[in-house]
Amino acid sequence: MQNILVVDDEPDVRDSVKYVLDRAGYSVRTVESAMDALAELARNPTDLVITDIIMPQINGVEAIESIRKAFPSVRIIAISGGGNFGVTEYQPTAITTTAYLASAEKAGAHLVLTKPFETVELIRSVEQVLGVGHA
Amino acid sequence: MARLRATFWIYVTAWVVVVHLVLLPALYFGMGYVIRESHEDLFIEHARTFSRVLADEFEVGVALDSQKRIEDLLDFAITHGGARYAELYEAGHSVRSLYGSSDIKSARSTDLKFGEGGDGIYFVVRPIAHARHHAELRLGFDEEPTQERIQLALTRMIWLLAGYLAVAIAIAIILSLRLSRPIQRLQAVSRAISSGDYTRALNVNTGIRELHELAVDLEAMRHELVGVNDRLEAKIKEKEISEVRREELQKQLRHRQRLETVGTLASGIAHEINNVLVPIMLFTETALQDLPPSAAPRANLERVLAAARRAKDIVRKILTFSRELGEAKLALIDLREVVGETLHLFSVLAPPTIEIRTEIDESLPFVKADATLAAHLLMNLCTNAYQAMEGAKGMLTIGLRYREHADEAGMTPPRIELWVSDTGRGMDSATVERIFEPFFTTRSVGQGAGLGLSVVHGIVESFGASIAVDSKIGVGTTFRIFFPVVARLEAIVDPTTLVV
Repeated sequence: MQNILVVDDEPDVRDSVKYVLDRAGYSVRTVESAMDALAELARNPTDLVITDIIMPQINGVEAIESIRKAFPSVRIIAISGGGNFGVTEYQPTAITTTAYLASAEKAGAHLVLTKPFETVELIRSVEQVLGVGHA
Repeated sequence: MARLRATFWIYVTAWVVVVHLVLLPALYFGMGYVIRESHEDLFIEHARTFSRVLADEFEVGVALDSQKRIEDLLDFAITHGGARYAELYEAGHSVRSLYGSSDIKSARSTDLKFGEGGDGIYFVVRPIAHARHHAELRLGFDEEPTQERIQLALTRMIWLLAGYLAVAIAIAIILSLRLSRPIQRLQAVSRAISSGDYTRALNVNTGIRELHELAVDLEAMRHELVGVNDRLEAKIKEKEISEVRREELQKQLRHRQRLETVGTLASGIAHEINNVLVPIMLFTETALQDLPPSAAPRANLERVLAAARRAKDIVRKILTFSRELGEAKLALIDLREVVGETLHLFSVLAPPTIEIRTEIDESLPFVKADATLAAHLLMNLCTNAYQAMEGAKGMLTIGLRYREHADEAGMTPPRIELWVSDTGRGMDSATVERIFEPFFTTRSVGQGAGLGLSVVHGIVESFGASIAVDSKIGVGTTFRIFFPVVARLEAIVDPTTLVV
């Protein structure tokens, strides 16, 4: 069973993502901040981190950089509701579109996912990042 | 007392008339005297000469002895000597010429002056002494023909003088009119100038040096005024244009700021709603998956899911809309104008403790950019700079230069460098590295969103330009933006993008 760590400051988001992925057969743990995520990663083996971008204290982009540095084998999906969709490159010119998902990708996220997403999207993204044919 | 204001020609003519009215009578009387004198002298000379010659005739020979001879001589005086009266008087015996005027009764014995006696006769009395005779020749000459000649001469002189006066007045009028015409033209032009019309050239051709010089001076003055006026007008126009441009830019900036605010707000709301939608969609879907196809709540849950999807679409639309509004429109622009206009605005915002300087190259090629966005990015850099100098005295320098050669940074030449330099706090290298990241800020919470420099970076990239930072703690920071120079050919091929 593959281990997934969900990082989000919104309990409803954490819980619903965990609920869906639990049902899909993953072992899911949740934390509410990037600090907690790094601590959790150090404690328990983790295959995938699903992290929000806009969070208090340490934001998702910084968290991704830290994870990439400290745990290079861990796969990362960045999720955000900042309204960045279909943007494949870093484009802060679109001033009203906060481009943090693109930043996240630049920082090393393997996949970015726009909130809100449906169960199928979530599960497919996880499968894609972890590689098809998991347990 | 009201002063008489006559026109020039009337004034001159009046003076000529007045002067002549004084001079001409004097001249008339003077010349009349001379004429009268000369005519009288001639008359008296004739009378005396004739009477002496006649007296000599009596004295010579025996004329006095013959009555006949005496009468002949006396008659001769009347017929050939111009006398009106001839008498020879000897010892109470008198012989008169019969031709003489019988009206003249009494003969005076002494010469009188011309015109005296009141009878119009000039008497000459000459004693004749010969042998035993002691006689007197008494001749009376008529003064009237001489008087008439004098009168005629005087009359002619009056006519002459009157003619002269007329000619003098005519000359005065003509001359003064000729003089006053250029003066009137000068006057018309100076009036035009004083009423604000500087366009009338002064073309006064006159032989009078003073007038000519006055005209030349006035023309020079007009030229100077035209120049001053043109310069003033150009300045006012320039100011009006820059004022209009400034207002336009301010409007655009305000508009953009509003959009930015709306965008930020929309982004924030989207973030919150999207976060809320995640559990709604995921839990609803899983609930649906758990329910058997015939279960009663299914329809309701499907409606919840559909509503959540609609909400997602709405948020997406709002974001798409605000993103489109923020897109750049590239055109060929002059960065100097952008700098000038931004400075206009910034000088109002900046605290007086900060000195603002510019170092701008004289001639610069155009660059491809969005003028409003360029102003926006420059404004951002300036704001950053002055915030870095907050609370202290400092100097902000904005520079624009054309760099033809590559430098240590290895940039491809040629390019235009726009730089903003401050003497503020400066940044360490770790900060410099992350300065363009979204949400990165060194300011405390509530001071800035952390989007400023990432926006700057985004704008720079959208222009195909690049940005670099030099910073030293305690010394200051310089941001440099390198714009690629647009090839001349491109500028010719694509003239529609030119911003006027």
